[in-house]
Amino acid sequence: MMQLFRRTLRGILEHLYLTVVGAGVIAAALLLIGTFVLVVRNLDGLVSTWNHDAHISAYFRPQTPAEVQVAAQQAIAGRREVASVEHVTAEEATVWMKEQMPQMAPVMDDLGKEALPASLEIVLKPEYLTTEQVEAFAKSLSDAGSFSEVDYGRDWVGRLDTFLSVLRIFGGVLGGLTAVGTLFLVANTVHLAVYARRDELAIMRLVGATDGYIVGPFAMEGALQGLLGSSVAIAMLWALHQSLEGRLATMLPAALGTQELAFLPAPSLLLLILVGTLGGTAVNTVAVVRFLRSLP
Amino acid sequence: MIRLYHVVKSYGDRDALRDVSFHVEKGEMVYLTGPSGAGKSTLLKLLYGAERPTSGKVLIGGTDISQLPAGNLPMIRRNVGVVFQDFKLLPMRTVAANVALALEVIGASEEQLRRRVPAVLNIVGLRGREDTVAGVLSGGEQQRVAIARAIVNDPAILLADEPTGNLDGSMAVEVLEILQAINLRGTTVLVATHDIGLMDRFPHRKLRLESGRAVSERPRR
Repeated sequence: MMQLFRRTLRGILEHLYLTVVGAGVIAAALLLIGTFVLVVRNLDGLVSTWNHDAHISAYFRPQTPAEVQVAAQQAIAGRREVASVEHVTAEEATVWMKEQMPQMAPVMDDLGKEALPASLEIVLKPEYLTTEQVEAFAKSLSDAGSFSEVDYGRDWVGRLDTFLSVLRIFGGVLGGLTAVGTLFLVANTVHLAVYARRDELAIMRLVGATDGYIVGPFAMEGALQGLLGSSVAIAMLWALHQSLEGRLATMLPAALGTQELAFLPAPSLLLLILVGTLGGTAVNTVAVVRFLRSLP
Repeated sequence: MIRLYHVVKSYGDRDALRDVSFHVEKGEMVYLTGPSGAGKSTLLKLLYGAERPTSGKVLIGGTDISQLPAGNLPMIRRNVGVVFQDFKLLPMRTVAANVALALEVIGASEEQLRRRVPAVLNIVGLRGREDTVAGVLSGGEQQRVAIARAIVNDPAILLADEPTGNLDGSMAVEVLEILQAINLRGTTVLVATHDIGLMDRFPHRKLRLESGRAVSERPRR
């Protein structure tokens, strides 16, 4: 084993440039895949957060009597989908608006205490938060007739959800094509590296080396290249994540809310390292075995 | 030691060797001669398993290597040293590393490397040049490194394919002297060459190939 490691190290040092290029190509391939997974994961998380934060605002028609509003609140609170219902009177809505937008206070004062309609702020239980369920619930409120408008702010979340589904399918296809492309690139880089060492391989064959003896250091070199490449890819992903986290929080605070930009979880990172290491080993081994077959 | 029976080697519809049969006894030194394209290199390739005959038998030490599975060829090659006209060295490695390669592939220990490498470099007159990078040596010196690599694990047979082809007169004589010295130590040596001057200076049995057919000649003494 020590001799194998020594021979591997000698091969790396004698062909340092090729080794680094090989590791670099593996790093670039894994960075591409890692970035894609990171983007989809964060968009998924964001949509999920928005879904869970979503609530329905049902605005009463003007002049709706208070007892009707209370009765509607009690009726809605009794529905199985509902987690909570808060009654916001017209006065409370006006006060809230003045607090949120002080510059509008004079206008609100001019319009009177009932400038804004009373409403019910309804939060649904988590198991009733799919776009279809929220739409159906909102429609049932509209149909009830007491409300002038039911706002559930979900149509664009639904569209984003659809966009994400398309992105996943498109990404799957694109990811597949990218994987094939990068595999081709890695395989060709390794093939060139093996070709550059063709004299060494031919001489080893000539002096009686077995295929296993020749392939061993190449396989180990591929594993080390993959390990280095995946480590570099993870480091670059981390740097990318760190640089984006601060900027996005500044640029899109309202959109992000309390949601933090997530990094890949430990199992995904391990998988990335495993793919890099095993991929490097496999590609190097196949390239050398193919080359050995061409030798006498 | 080497026995060929009715060996034919064809490339498509062209016969490189036609019904070649000959024997080389243990400890013998034989020249394989003939004009360019006569089949000398092809015949040597059959002897170290780089090619397989179209028909016929190639026996090395009693083993028919034409029938040998590819996985067993390394074992044959460890017993057959080969020297080429273009040396086939790793120019960026040292003389010692080039020679040690043949020992490393058979799993020799560090102790064996330390003992055998200087010993064979002594035989080929390169003692003290262990740490010199092979690429900076002269042609004659590089050929001597190649010979050292071919004999370092003490093979029973040494094949040399035009070993003096790239060397000037005095260097060619030095190389032939080394090959002859190796033969005197008991190694069977087969040298492919068309250098008549050298064959006259170091007389041994000749096997002449003409258009792929073998004609054996006795040395002129």
